[in-house]
Amino acid sequence: MSNATLLSARDLRVELRSRRGSFRLSADALELRAREALVILGPNGSGKSTLMRALAGLERPESGRLTSVATGPVTMVFQNPAPFAGSVAHNVRVGFLGKRCSGAERDDRVREALERFKIDHLAEHRAATLSGGEMRRLALARAFALRPAALLLDEPFAGLDAEGQAALSVDLRRAIEDTGVAVAMVTHDLRRAMLLADRIAVLIDGVLVQVGSRDAVLEHPATPAIARVVGMTNLVRGVVSAERCGDLALVEVDAQHRVATRSELPPGTSVWIGIRPEHLKLDIGRGAVDPIGKAEVRGVVSDGVSVAVQVEWAGTEMRTHLMAGRGLARTLEPGAGVSLSASPEHVHLIPICDEMP
Amino acid sequence: MIYPSIGLLVEITLRTLAVCLPALAISLAIGLPIGIAIGHRRFAGRVPLVSLINTGMGAPPVVVGLVVYLLLARSGPLGNLSWLYSIEAMIVAQVVIALPLVIGITLAAVGALDEDWELQVRTLGVPRRWRLWLLLREIRLGLLAAVITALGGILSEVGAVMAVGGNLEGETRVLTTAILMYTQMGELESALGLAAILVGLMLVLAGLLTVVQQSGRS
Repeated sequence: MSNATLLSARDLRVELRSRRGSFRLSADALELRAREALVILGPNGSGKSTLMRALAGLERPESGRLTSVATGPVTMVFQNPAPFAGSVAHNVRVGFLGKRCSGAERDDRVREALERFKIDHLAEHRAATLSGGEMRRLALARAFALRPAALLLDEPFAGLDAEGQAALSVDLRRAIEDTGVAVAMVTHDLRRAMLLADRIAVLIDGVLVQVGSRDAVLEHPATPAIARVVGMTNLVRGVVSAERCGDLALVEVDAQHRVATRSELPPGTSVWIGIRPEHLKLDIGRGAVDPIGKAEVRGVVSDGVSVAVQVEWAGTEMRTHLMAGRGLARTLEPGAGVSLSASPEHVHLIPICDEMP
Repeated sequence: MIYPSIGLLVEITLRTLAVCLPALAISLAIGLPIGIAIGHRRFAGRVPLVSLINTGMGAPPVVVGLVVYLLLARSGPLGNLSWLYSIEAMIVAQVVIALPLVIGITLAAVGALDEDWELQVRTLGVPRRWRLWLLLREIRLGLLAAVITALGGILSEVGAVMAVGGNLEGETRVLTTAILMYTQMGELESALGLAAILVGLMLVLAGLLTVVQQSGRS
């Protein structure tokens, strides 16, 4: 059974009280399956860490059920990877305290874990002298040495520079593949999530609002708030038109603007139209494929690799990304007129229900 | 001028250690578990308790002496122990002085641990008894500070041992009470000699502990 459920939460309600007030977390149905990477996304303060701690059994739920059928250990790596006093190797050995394991086997597993995260050369160094990135690696090595069945990671890349994040995510990805451990990971870095996730769960204001396969959540967010969390930041309201264009549905934003997409929603349905910035194309010439109309450039910001362009389309600010250095990116200036295009498979519709914000 | 003999000096020094070391051991045995318990638990009444302990850390020894005197006096609640003007009375008084120091410093050391420390150890599946061992290891610099502070506090105080011990020659005279006595008698050379021994004693003990502390760091 490759996708048996290891951990599952049903109707879980956790309430945290502190001097700053109380916080409620609710997760109706969430499971972590064997050998999968589940990424939990959400804005700051949405309860991601609380959910993680609840899954680790560190928060007592008010109600609901948390079931674990994992045969191996379930361990958690915290956002702040506090090393224990002593050497790096001692830190990894701590997990073996009180466990039945021969000294030789333990030493092998400690060495293996340190090698896996490329800190074996630091084994005898005091853990307190490590850099931030090395401490994150140590925290992961400490967890992997126990050969966990499930691993809960709270922001494993927090505080690392881009290079450190990229290097660590490569090593982490490999460790996950080699060991087959099931991982639930909290992050607010969408790109890491896309890179590592098999499935994505989205938390907003303490409520688990959507869980599904990575592509299902990224492409079909259930609400505009979820769309923003998963990076579908261009959102415009429209109505499904009675008119169709071949097998494509047409969605009208206003008299001048409409988009084509694949949809079976009945005509007259109010929808949010969602397009990821990377799927919105700019064109100065006339020959655009899948045109959705004219827009005006509002701002251009380049970081040398990509260019973020803000345009106004149908009275709404939209964002798009271009590669820097291309001719088009150089000629764009605020006020310039451009054509926008988006291919029908990249235009997503979110039907608007009454209770939805 | 009458100088105290070498024999007398040795006797007073040994008696000083015979009072201070048991007092230190008892304070640590009681204070460490209490400090650890208060240090990483949150409960109602913790703040007043901690401020009481902090007050105790600065309690004037002579007042402690007076209270212990009243407890041990023949008419006091513990009068039938007949401990007044004995080594036992001095140990009791010094435990009362050292205990808040041990508890206060231990709980500060535990409190300075990262919030997630305990949770991290728990999620690594470390059993309870090993968690305590790890905790002591983690706060060992704080523990040594507690030992040095407590030892300094009781080795150098004079008010409490004077009040409950009475500075009886051959029975309860210790270095601090002897220094005070010789000073009052104007025998300053003897007072200075004893003072040198007292300071030397503290130097040796603190030095030993510092060596332990530093070797633990590497």
